[in-house]
Formats: sequence, structure tokens, C-alpha cells
Amino acid sequence: MNKHLSKVVRTIASLQVAIMLLILIASYVVIGTLIPQHSAPNWYLEAYPAIGETIVVLSLDHAYSSPIFIVLVLLFAINLTACTMLSLRGQLKQTKPDYFPGFTHEDQIITDVPEEDAIDFCTKKHFAIHQDHGESGFRASRFRWGVLGAAITHLGILILFVGGVIGNMMASEDVVSMLPGNEVSYPEEGFVIRLDDFHMTFEEEGAVKQYISDVTLIDDDGTETQHTLWVNNPLSHKGKTFYQASFGWTGNLKMTDTETEEVVIEGLLRSGRTYFHQPSHLTVYLYDYYPEMAIGHEQQPVSLSNREVNPYYAVVLYQFGEPIGSYMIAPGDPIIFENLSITFTHSVAYTGLLVRSDPSYPVVLIGFIIILIGMFVSFYCYPRFIRYHAGTVTTASGKNGWVFHHGVKQFLAKHDQQQNKE
Amino acid sequence: MDLFQDFENITFTITFIIYIISAVLFLIHVSGITRRLEKVAIITTLVGFLFHTGAMIARTVGAGRLPFSNQYEFALSFGWGIVISFLILHWIYRFSSIGAFVMPLAILVMGYASLQSRAVRPLMPALQSHWLTFHVGTAILSYGAFALACGIAIIYLIDSRRSTEKRILKDPEISDMLSYRVIVFGILMLTIVIISGAIWAQKAWSRYWAWDPKETWSLITWLIYAVYLHLRLRRNWKGKAAAWFAVFGFISVLFTFVGVNILLPSIHSYAT
Repeated sequence: MNKHLSKVVRTIASLQVAIMLLILIASYVVIGTLIPQHSAPNWYLEAYPAIGETIVVLSLDHAYSSPIFIVLVLLFAINLTACTMLSLRGQLKQTKPDYFPGFTHEDQIITDVPEEDAIDFCTKKHFAIHQDHGESGFRASRFRWGVLGAAITHLGILILFVGGVIGNMMASEDVVSMLPGNEVSYPEEGFVIRLDDFHMTFEEEGAVKQYISDVTLIDDDGTETQHTLWVNNPLSHKGKTFYQASFGWTGNLKMTDTETEEVVIEGLLRSGRTYFHQPSHLTVYLYDYYPEMAIGHEQQPVSLSNREVNPYYAVVLYQFGEPIGSYMIAPGDPIIFENLSITFTHSVAYTGLLVRSDPSYPVVLIGFIIILIGMFVSFYCYPRFIRYHAGTVTTASGKNGWVFHHGVKQFLAKHDQQQNKE
Repeated sequence: MDLFQDFENITFTITFIIYIISAVLFLIHVSGITRRLEKVAIITTLVGFLFHTGAMIARTVGAGRLPFSNQYEFALSFGWGIVISFLILHWIYRFSSIGAFVMPLAILVMGYASLQSRAVRPLMPALQSHWLTFHVGTAILSYGAFALACGIAIIYLIDSRRSTEKRILKDPEISDMLSYRVIVFGILMLTIVIISGAIWAQKAWSRYWAWDPKETWSLITWLIYAVYLHLRLRRNWKGKAAAWFAVFGFISVLFTFVGVNILLPSIHSYAT
């Protein structure tokens, strides 16, 4: 390789660059947690008069998807790849049976050890024993392959990055609100999802215990399968995953002609939405629904829970765009306006399902598993080497030397004690 | 229910008092006033730990689940994690002096627990998962290990200024290596915490990573310890610098545990 190119590659792969990038990434991430994310640029200018402009210019308002952050992560991925590739050759050499390190650490020597004791240790601890040519004594090793732990961990992190890129490019997300009986079609995937029922279960004091949606999946070939979703129990089908994400209320609006008693209109109106009745230019606004209505500290209606034990509807009427009255009515209570009787007869809760398609997740899972294996190998299956010569055991185990040496010493001391007893 | 809460309150208070006594005994031991208190201090810690375990069991039975779901419960468990990490380390290596620096941390965490609401509340839907036990259980081990590593690092920093005779641990290299080994365990557990959290988030919230402040600060803590490991393993970074790093890392752990809940809005806000 060209000398200059080799120098550039080594610089890119260097630990200094890695540490610098890790510190920069960590610092950027810290800033991202301190500044509220994804607000409008003007908000930052008003909230932080001194640094608002800097926040916007440096994209710190969307720190984790900003070009600066992406470049930092990309540079780190390059550094990690280069570093792993450069180290791998040497590490693979160390896994070969003829490789032994220099036993140079003066503190890691145990003297006056009978050869049988040393052999006993190696046998019991599953060390591979190698006879030294032309010397008395032997050398032994265990977990030679443990030297690859760091490379395995790095590989796992790189797979995570790949997963992240796939997720950013290909993941899609949508929220669908469904009332019982509603269907949503996914023609590309070839199925329809229908909500059969949505209900909540409650704790004794009224808090929601669980949100439950009963759904039916209808495939293009007519196959129907029933499933139940709740928080922590999503449903995956043909690349789409449905999550129980939210819920809301609708009130059944019924408008009746007071003279003829004829039902003019009847249907479900969502809380927070309006219905416009053209003939009388009347707008019915269901401001809110209170399943367990009570009066709060500020004399405002509040709902104590989502149990329908004291239901009330807050309704505002408008005509020609002008408010003409606001009402708190119980189910079935009429509001009489001109020749119309307006009531909300009952409520129906709708479910909010988050629909996500994310092909990156399996890749990320593989990355997670590889990282864990790599770290475990690095930390607990690190290579251990022993040399026995003329009654002296010398241990070597890189940066974990003291711990390994301590273990060997303890074993041999116990062994000695046992023999003395016998 | 009340019976269990009463038992929990009593055992919690006894634990707190015993831990204070134990810390004082350890401090007398390491100060060199008398070296006879070592065994008494260890036995005191063990007794305190039994009461602590009693409080955890009472909470578990009273709440009908493991005590992992709010700041009080996590602090109670975190303190337990610190003490068991210390006892295990003592059992393996017989370095009791570490107790003088680890027990005050346990007292600090228990003191924080005592300031939190002890009301037993039902789990919100997102928390009703088997992942809760695994995710928080590994967090306790991880945080406990980092606290222990911090205690050992403080010993190193004190010993490095003293003459050989006055040192708490005769060989500073041992405390340096121990701190490293404990951090290694802590970072492995922290990795499991982050990964189990990601898998759980994918199930509950549809995304394995959402840059929520709690998960982001866990990542920051992970990055800090990753830098520590690389400097240590590749640059032979030992001694004072490594010890300060262990202390700094634990400050990040504490911020992830307490600071994020107080200062930063988070979907982990149920943990208050």
C-alpha cells in the first residue's frame, strides 16, 4: 500500500479519532436532551434569545437527525470499520495454537509449584497443554479465540448502524382510528383489518388497566383470523405491525324534528369535532365528553376516570358561525333549538392503532445479539496463558492479568492446603 | 396490605440505621483507629442487607409485583444492588475496606428512597410486561456495580496519596484492577439494560429507539464507560485518570437515575 495512503488509513482507524468521535457524539447527544426537540424555529428564537439562532443553524432543534450528527456517526462507523479490519489480522494470528505471548510480567509468577499441581489446574480448567520443545515444563492456553471479542462487538455495532440506516430509509408509520365495525384496507400487502370491539379494563380506583382491541384480519383469499391487541401485545401481519396506541370518544348525535318527531340525522360524532346541519345553518360542536364528570378546582368540568359512571357531554351550538349557546348534557338530555331536538344518546370509544412497517428491526436484533456475545467474550472469555518451567508458573492474560493470576494463585493455594491435610 | 406496608416501613428504617452503623464501623476500620472492627462491620452489613431484603419482599408481596416501577421502588432496589455487589466482591476477594466508601453510597440512595412517595400504585398499561423485571433487574445490577467501582476508585485516589503502610488496600494496582473488573460487569449489564429496553420499547411503543431522555442518558453513560474501556485496554490508561473516570461515570449513572426524572421530560416519567 502507498505509504501516504497507509498513513491516512491508520489515522482514520486510530483510537484517538475514535475517542474524539465518541466524545463529540456524546456531547451532541447531551445537548439534544437539554434542548426541546422538533419545535418551530421561531420558538427557539423566542425561548432562547441569546442562542436561539445558533440552535437553529446547528440543527440542534432536531439534533438526532441533523447533518452534523449524521456525519459524526458516519465518521465513527468508518473509524470502527477501519480499526476492526486493521486489528483483525493480528488477532486472528493470536488464535493459532502456536501463538504464545511473552511471559514477562514479573508480578505474575508463582514459585514452588509441583508440576502435577500445575497440570491439575490446567486439566480442571480445560486448558490446552502444549509441551515445550527442548525444555522441561509446558505451556497451556485457554480461550485463544477470546481475542476476537472486540472485533465481534464492533461488528455488532456496525450492524446496528446498518439497521438504523435501513430504518431511516424504509420504515413507515401511520395512525388509524377505528370504531367497531370499521375496516382499513392494505391492498399492497393484500389484507383488510376490521375492528370488532374496543374496550378498557379498569383498576379499582378508576385508572385504566388495559386498552383492548379485538380485530379480524381478512386476507385477499378470504381467510379470516381473529386477534386481540393491547399495549405490549402488538399484532404483526404481512410486514405491518399494529400497536394499541391511543383511544378516543364519540357521542351518538341524534337530531329530531320536534313537530314531526322524525329523526333528521343520527350518527357518531367524535369529541372535539363538529357537525354542520345545512337546512338550519346550525353547527353542533361536541367540545368534550366526560365519562365520570366532576367539577374541578377551577370550577371547570373534569373527568375523574374513563369509566362511564357519570357521563356528560359539553356541547356548543353555532348558527351562521356565531355561538348561540353552550350546554352540559347527560346522555338523552335534549337541547331544543328552533324545531330541533339535539341529543347525544350514548357514547362509543374508538381505538387508535399505530401501524408501523420497519424492516430494520430484525437487523437491529441481530446487531444486539452480536454486541452482547462480543462483550461477553471480551470480558469473560479473554485469552489466558500459562507457562510452567522449573517449578514456576507464569501467567499472562493481557489487561486482565491480575484477575487471572489471582485465580490461578487461589486454586494452587487451595490445592496445596488439601494435599497437606491428606 | 397494611400489614405488609407496616413491615416494609419498619424494615426500611432498621436497614437505614444499620447501614449507617455499618458505614461508621467501616470508616473507623479504614481510619486505622482500630483494625478489630472489620468482622463486626461485615456482619452488621449482612444483617442490614437481610432487613433490606425483608423490606423488598414485603413490598413485593404488598404490591403483588417486584419493586421496580417508580423512583422509591427503584431506589430501594438500587441500594440493594449496591450492597449485594459489595458483599459478593468481599466474598470473592476479601476486601472489606471497600465498605467504607460503598456503604455511604448505599445510604445516599436509601436516603433518596426515603424522600419518595411509598404509595403502591397499579402498573400503567405500558409497564405491564415481563420485560420490566428483566430490564430493571439488570439496571439494578449495573448501577450497583458502577457504585461499587466508584467506591473502589475513591480508595485508589486516597491510597495513591498515602505511604504504603497507611494505604487502605496495600497494593493500589489491586484496587485499580478491581475497579476495572467491576466496571466491565457494570457495562455488560448496562448493555443488557439498553437492549432489553429497546426490545420492550419496540413491543410497547413501536420503536426500539426514540431518543427519549432516559434512554439517551443511558447511552451517554454507556459511551462514557466505552471510552474508559478503550483508553484502558488500548492505551493502558490506569491509575488516577482511570479512577477519576470511574467516579465521573457514576455521576452520569446518578444523573440518568435521578437528574433525568427531575429535569428532563420523558416517556419514562412514570418512574417518579
